[in-house]
Amino acid sequence: MNLSHFADFCEQAVKDGVLFYYKGEFSQNVIGAMTDTLKLRLDAVGVSGPARRKLFSTFVEMSQNIMHYADVAAADGSKTGALAVGKNGDSKYWIVAGNPVRIEHIERIKEKVEPLRSMTIDEIKAAYREQLRNDEHDKDTVSRGAGLGFLTVAREASEPLEYQIVFRSDRMEFAEFYLRASI
Amino acid sequence: MENLYIPATNETPEINFRFSEHQLHVSGESYPENAMAFYAPIRASLHNYLDRTQAQGAVEAHFSLRYFNSSSTKLIRSLIALMHDSAQAGKRIVTHWYHDPDDDMMSEFGNDLKDEFRMLDIRVVALETA
Repeated sequence: MNLSHFADFCEQAVKDGVLFYYKGEFSQNVIGAMTDTLKLRLDAVGVSGPARRKLFSTFVEMSQNIMHYADVAAADGSKTGALAVGKNGDSKYWIVAGNPVRIEHIERIKEKVEPLRSMTIDEIKAAYREQLRNDEHDKDTVSRGAGLGFLTVAREASEPLEYQIVFRSDRMEFAEFYLRASI
Repeated sequence: MENLYIPATNETPEINFRFSEHQLHVSGESYPENAMAFYAPIRASLHNYLDRTQAQGAVEAHFSLRYFNSSSTKLIRSLIALMHDSAQAGKRIVTHWYHDPDDDMMSEFGNDLKDEFRMLDIRVVALETA
């Protein structure tokens, strides 16, 4: 990247209200360093109380999602993805994440996220409670957690989650999955 | 049996189970990469204690968690479930669930536990943390 491209990149990031951006490998060490940085960043811009907790919670869920589900074959054996946090002019915060997934997992992801988009906050909380008490989930061999990840993010968000699947032209077996939460 | 002490890290809470005094503390933040690996031995140790304890008074548990991630959620609930089973079997256990007064999510979680585990004395306490 030459300097004028970098200047444009920085300027665009400021325009979009970016507070934090990372793209690369996701490991617990990287996530630990990022959460420390995010806390300092939120302190610096004066985010406190519930907004801070919600941002932090969403940030951890999204980054651990990438660490657990990013397809390693798509990136030479490592778990890679991208994550950004920012603030809109209207003072709402947003978090976006993206990572490669296998084409055959797309339906499963849609089935998990799509219903959350039309649910009210009370319905989301009820679904969260039900899933928390669901002991059948242990039999799910794909899930790496408690099946509460997307529900947790939906619960923190103030608007329906947005997602996008971007198919790749170079490698047909993978797509990029992008998720956006507004806090 | 031996007390269990695990110091806090960035991603895991402090576990301070003073079995000799019947005082069980879990405090801090919980978002380890592998929550099952972290909580399985803690759960086993608690299970073992609850099976064997001959406490004269009440066993006291204190959960002061500032944050936990989704994969820790079920495991924290399973510690409460163990205590609930034990309370149902006649042991006296008092469980305190502390939360920041501003933290609706944490107070709701405590109240949900109270709703679900009715045989366990769960006290949800709003507490300013430093």
